[in-house]
Amino acid sequence: MKIKVNRKTITLFEGATIRHALLRYCALKGIDASTIENITVYDRFGHETDLDAPASQHDAIRIKTNNL
Amino acid sequence: MKKIFITSLLMLATITGMAKERKEVHILSANDMHAAIECFPRLGYVADSLRALYPDLLILSAGDNRSGDPLNDMYEIPAYPMVALMNMVGFHATTLGNHEFDSNQYGLARLIDLSTFPTLCANTHPDPKFKLHLRPWHKFDVNGITVGIIGAVGLGQLGIPESHPQKMTDIKFSDPYESIKQYEFLRRECDVVVLLSHLGYKEDVEISAKLPWVDLIVGGHSHTQLKGGEMHNGILITQNTNRLKRVTHTTLVLEDGKVVRKTAENIEIRGGKNENKIIKEVVRYFSENPAFARVLAQATTPFSSYEELGCLMTDAYVAEGKAELSFQNAGGVRYSTHAAGAFTMSDVLKLDPFQNEAVELNITGKELTDMIIKCYDNDNQLMPYVGGMTAEYTLDPSTRKIKKLTLIGKDGKKLNMKRTYKVITNSYTSAICPTTRQDEGHSIGRITAELIIDYLEHQKQVSYQGRTCLKEIKK
Repeated sequence: MKIKVNRKTITLFEGATIRHALLRYCALKGIDASTIENITVYDRFGHETDLDAPASQHDAIRIKTNNL
Repeated sequence: MKKIFITSLLMLATITGMAKERKEVHILSANDMHAAIECFPRLGYVADSLRALYPDLLILSAGDNRSGDPLNDMYEIPAYPMVALMNMVGFHATTLGNHEFDSNQYGLARLIDLSTFPTLCANTHPDPKFKLHLRPWHKFDVNGITVGIIGAVGLGQLGIPESHPQKMTDIKFSDPYESIKQYEFLRRECDVVVLLSHLGYKEDVEISAKLPWVDLIVGGHSHTQLKGGEMHNGILITQNTNRLKRVTHTTLVLEDGKVVRKTAENIEIRGGKNENKIIKEVVRYFSENPAFARVLAQATTPFSSYEELGCLMTDAYVAEGKAELSFQNAGGVRYSTHAAGAFTMSDVLKLDPFQNEAVELNITGKELTDMIIKCYDNDNQLMPYVGGMTAEYTLDPSTRKIKKLTLIGKDGKKLNMKRTYKVITNSYTSAICPTTRQDEGHSIGRITAELIIDYLEHQKQVSYQGRTCLKEIKK
C-alpha cells in the first residue's frame, strides 16, 4: 500500500493506519517520532483526520509542524 | 357588511389551506467510536439535551463501534460495554464497520442480539448458521415522517471488510453501490432516505453522484472531520474523526413531505463538561472489568528481565501467529519483572499496552536481517527480541551500530539468507523499519496482546527464567 506524506511516497503493510505512515515517514527522514501523537493530519482535500484512520482511505496526507 | 365578513373568512381559509406543512427531522450521528466508552457520559448528556428539544431525535452510528480499548474489546462478552452504552443512550440504528467483524461471526451475532437497535447492512450476506440478524434497511416513523435508512460497509482489496479473513468465513459481501441501489424503492415509500455508510469519505462523495434519491449520507471509516456537513451532488454528507471527539447534529426541513433544507453542525463530545451521571456509573462499572483479573497461566518461575518477557512475547507471536519466526522492538516490552504465580489478562495489557496489530511478512533471511538492523537503529539502539531463532550480534564500540548480525534457527543452523520465512512482528516495528523488502506484509486482524493472551491460555504454565534470545559477541 502506498500513501504520500507531504508529497513523499511511503510504502506500508496492508492494514496500516495514518500513525504507521507517520512513523515510517519519520524513520525515512531520520527524525524523532515522539511528537506524532500531538500533530494534526489533513487529507488531500484539507479535512482533518486522525492517527487511527486507515491509511488505505487516504492516498495523500499533509502534516504541519515545526519538527516534521 | 355580512358579505364582506364571509368573503374575508373564505380568503383566510384559502390562504391557510395553501400554507405548506413544515416538519423537521433531527439526527444525532456518530462514526468510528472505536470503544471510546469514557465519552459516553458526555454523549448521553448531549443526546438527552437534544431529545428534550426534539423528542423524535434519531441517533445513528456509521460503524466501527468497537476495537480501540481493551476495557470494551476484552470484556467477558467482547465489545458488550459499547452495546450496553449505545442501548442506554438510545441509538436507533448502526451499520457494520470493518471492525465489527473483529468479534467474529458468532460474537457479532451475539452483540446484534443484545442491541436494542437494528444493525443495517445491505451488502453483507451471512450464512444463516450464524444467525446474524442483519437487515439491509429499516423504516422509522419520526413524528409522522417516514425515514428509510440503508446501511453499507466498505470492502478492502480482498473484497471483504478490513478485518481477519477467518472472522468472515461464510459471509458473502456484494458491491456496496450495486447493493444499495436495490433499495431505491424506499424513495417512493419514505419522506427521507438516509445512507448509513462505512465506505469512507471519498467513496461517499463518489457514490453521491449515483444516488440522487438519497437525502443524507451519514459516513464513517476514513475518520474525516467535516465542518458540519458537505453538499455533494445535492446530498448532504457528514462524518467526524474517531473516538467521539465530535458528533453531528443534522436537521432536515420538510415542506409538504419533501426535504427542502439540510443543515448539519458538529458537537464537541470529548472533553465536554456536562455528563449523564447514570451512564457515568455504568462506565465506571465496565472500567472495573473483572475479566482483567482472569488468570491466563501460571508462571512457575519469576521473570527477572525485559529479555525474558520479550522472549515470551515473541514465542507467542510464533505460536499463535502460526509463523516460523518473529521479532519485536525492545521498547515495546513495558516491564521487566514478574513474580512467579498468576499471569493475568491485566498483566498482559500492561506488558503490551499499545494495541499494536500483528503483522505477517513473508521475507527472506536477508530481508529479515536488514529489518532487525533497521529496528535497532530506529528504536534507540535497542536490540529487538526474536522468536523461533536467536540473534548473535557485534556492535561497533564507538558508534554502537551493529557491525555483524547472525540469525540462528532452532536447529542451531544459520538462517538461509535466500529462503523466504513467515515472520510475525508488530505494526509499530514494521512501520519503523524502512527496508527494500519485497513484502511489506499485512495485518492479521489481531492485536499482539491477543496473541500473548491466547498463548498463555494454551500453555497453562510458563517458565522463562534464564531464557535468552539475544547474544552480544564482544571481542
